Amino acid sequence: MRNFLALTRRELGVYFVSPMAYIILTALLLLVGRTFVGSMAMRSASQMPIDYRETLQFLVILIVMTSPLVTMRLIAEEKNKGTLEIILTAPISDAAFVLAKFVAAMTLLVYLLAPTVGYIVIVSRYGPVDVGAVVCGYLGILLLGAVLYSIGLFISSLCSSQITAGVLTFSIAILLVMASMQMATLDENSALRPILAYVDLTVNFADFLKGVVDRTRFVYLVSVVGFFLFLTTRVLESRRWR
Amino acid sequence: MIEVSNLTKTYPGVTAVDNLSFTVGKGQIVGFLGPNGAGKSTTMRILTCFIAPTSGSAKLAGFDVLEKSMEVRRRVGYLPESNALYTEMRVEEYLLFRARLRDLPPKDRPARVGEVLEKVRLTDRRRSIIAHLSKGLRQRVGLADAILHRPEIVILDEPTIGLDPTQVREVRDLIRGLGDAHTVLFSSHILSEVEKICSRVLILSKGKLAASGTPDEIANQIMKTGRVRLEIRGEGRTIKESLEKVPGVARILWSNKGDQNTYLVEPTDGVDLRPSLMKACTSGGWDVFELGYERLSLEEAFEILTAATPKGAAS
Repeated sequence: MRNFLALTRRELGVYFVSPMAYIILTALLLLVGRTFVGSMAMRSASQMPIDYRETLQFLVILIVMTSPLVTMRLIAEEKNKGTLEIILTAPISDAAFVLAKFVAAMTLLVYLLAPTVGYIVIVSRYGPVDVGAVVCGYLGILLLGAVLYSIGLFISSLCSSQITAGVLTFSIAILLVMASMQMATLDENSALRPILAYVDLTVNFADFLKGVVDRTRFVYLVSVVGFFLFLTTRVLESRRWR
Repeated sequence: MIEVSNLTKTYPGVTAVDNLSFTVGKGQIVGFLGPNGAGKSTTMRILTCFIAPTSGSAKLAGFDVLEKSMEVRRRVGYLPESNALYTEMRVEEYLLFRARLRDLPPKDRPARVGEVLEKVRLTDRRRSIIAHLSKGLRQRVGLADAILHRPEIVILDEPTIGLDPTQVREVRDLIRGLGDAHTVLFSSHILSEVEKICSRVLILSKGKLAASGTPDEIANQIMKTGRVRLEIRGEGRTIKESLEKVPGVARILWSNKGDQNTYLVEPTDGVDLRPSLMKACTSGGWDVFELGYERLSLEEAFEILTAATPKGAAS
């Protein structure tokens, strides 16, 4: 446990030693801030009730866009630099190593989301805010992040170049967000339709934003995370028998 | 301390380690010698539980690398050939991180890190960012890490590669100092380096144990592979026939340009042929242009040693 925490702490430290965390955080806050102001101005001009959902929705897009930046280096860099050898010859299990990487990425996500709570606080001063729905929305974003980060971590474990891992993760993230858009081009009865609707992350997220936690969706998302973390561990273990 | 038996590691199309067996006793400093690609690093990676053998077994401090991997890792300090470090960290910070990773008790950590820094003489650089250190200093950070948790066994893969002569001497002294408390296995492809610190040398070639013994024994074996180079003007064939009669001559390779002949004379069993060849030349009355001893490169010597039966392979 102690060594797990040591790994997580170092991993998180890397984000803040390199400019990566600051770049993501700055870009995210600038863009979300701009959207927030825009949305507020529009609503007050047209006398519409204030709504925080647009901001959260935009936040989701940004989390998707930045996910490759968060995960691409996680394992690919260690493979490339050779540091994997000094970590995995220390008394650390492969699973603990993978989990530490994932927990560090998730902690970064919490850091990224924390300042955006400020917008909700501002909104709450001008009208009623459904706290449950907000909590639910953030839970959705965290789950979405967890899914994307676990996939990104898995891809990073397959690549020895960060760039390759980043591009691949980005492509898959975009694919997952736009899955339901692809449905329009498909035949009415196509067998792919329900599958696309199921894997689409925006569809999965829409319920959370409404303040509804659908148990099937929750279990589905959590198992996707578990599945990819498991695969990542397997990829690491494969070095032993390859 | 280290027991390796019938260890084999194959990659598609390549056998990196081929049925390798050896043992290393407690407190010994053993040098692992071999040309590049001989399987030294692969063996070390198996011993440190980074990769698994295809077949065979290895036990360190009594624990099997496959079945008790964590126990082995706890007892082994390792410096990989790449000496990869988290270069964004400061020296002391990095070692403290490694100490946490190694599960050293919290109270013990700062003192122990201070101790090893002193030992590798990096105390004055402990606040430096590793990326800013020279290769020699980084190597010392790697060494400090390898001994940080007071391991029973220290495995060092090419610890002196890429260092300047002064740094090589420092690292060598450091390794010699380790022998008191640790069992050390270290690899190199420089014979003279191994000679100076090891109590025993294992020579690996093409994944097999080619020879093992004390540095003196190994050096003698390699000396045997030397040959004498002769350049003589005259009737080539006659001279060759006369030279073949010199006692101790095993084989003569002859080439010529006109009446200028070059002979490579190989001895039978490590005899230095120079005096007797000189006498033969004098009595033959030939014009000698060159008579010199030619030591084979280590690679060539390894080839010859591999061909011979392993001597004391399972000692």
